[in-house]
Amino acid sequence: MIPVRCFTCGAVIGDKYRKFREYVEGGMDPKEALDKIGLERYCCRRMILSHVEIIDKFLIYRRLGTGGRD
Amino acid sequence: MTKKSTSKKSTRSFKIEFIEESDNRIMVLLRNIPVTMANSIRRVIISHVPTLAIERVFIFRNDSLMNDDMLAHRLGLIPLTTPLGKYALPEEAPDEEGSKPEYAELTLTIEAKDKPITVLSSDIKSKDPDVKPVSGDIEIVRLAPGQGIEAEMWAYMGRGKDHAKWSPVSVSVVRGLPVIRIKKTGCNKKCKKCVEACPKGVLAVKKGQLIVKDLYKCTTCGLCMEACPDIIKVSIDETSSILYLESIGQLRPIEILSLAFDEVIKKLDDFYSSLNEVSLENV
Repeated sequence: MIPVRCFTCGAVIGDKYRKFREYVEGGMDPKEALDKIGLERYCCRRMILSHVEIIDKFLIYRRLGTGGRD
Repeated sequence: MTKKSTSKKSTRSFKIEFIEESDNRIMVLLRNIPVTMANSIRRVIISHVPTLAIERVFIFRNDSLMNDDMLAHRLGLIPLTTPLGKYALPEEAPDEEGSKPEYAELTLTIEAKDKPITVLSSDIKSKDPDVKPVSGDIEIVRLAPGQGIEAEMWAYMGRGKDHAKWSPVSVSVVRGLPVIRIKKTGCNKKCKKCVEACPKGVLAVKKGQLIVKDLYKCTTCGLCMEACPDIIKVSIDETSSILYLESIGQLRPIEILSLAFDEVIKKLDDFYSSLNEVSLENV
């Protein structure tokens, strides 16, 4: 999952990753996408740019002793 | 400032000018204030202006991949809109009758039915309509079909010095007011070396005149001075400071600024009264 806040400055970025991904998958340049989302500082920009979303790969498993279907 | 001073400059009155203002950011010019004082306001903005944030989380069900402590951490970082004066500050006694409530209650109950879902901050229900997540799109966790989360959260007032989640700003910067002096004679207005040297685009040639286009963008790097040392002189006005802050959303920037002044005054009062106690003991 994308972190809620930027590690360096503390600005909220947790609500921006999905939009960024939509833009980039739609063929937009990542630089333009970050500008459009409104991230100015390079601390916040690297949070989004360098993030790798892996939770969907783990979603097919479940934690031992918790609910959910197999 | 009532303190007498020998220097003429500090006897001039303190003034605030707004340079830039929007929903989440503010840039003000503090005139006739020592840099140290402006800096104390900057520091108080970061670490002493109180806001609301989720501090206690009771997790009744958590089937997600994320551990309980990680989930609680993420919930804590979600900024909440803060109604001023509605909830008790950490130093206020909560036991007295008629006192303010100590915390705001929020709940999160969600289950993924047929397909995986992303839990968003808009799924958090609040008992107080004044307290809600600043943004409803913050991703908290993803749930596979059949997984669910049930949690109750208590949001307390707190300060940035205890945890960064209570800090109301992402940026709070003080810098000196740049002063750019351009000599009227000697510049041929055609070489434009100084204009090109500036990385921020502060200088421009307009109607055959070299002018300062946007003074507040100047970082006093001095590159224009290097390009043309005879004509341009860049310095800093030590009596004025530019304060720039960017709110995360719990409070409006102007509220943050006025609260910061209150906090500084409160600190000075505390210091003064404790100083009086000490001096009385010594007599």
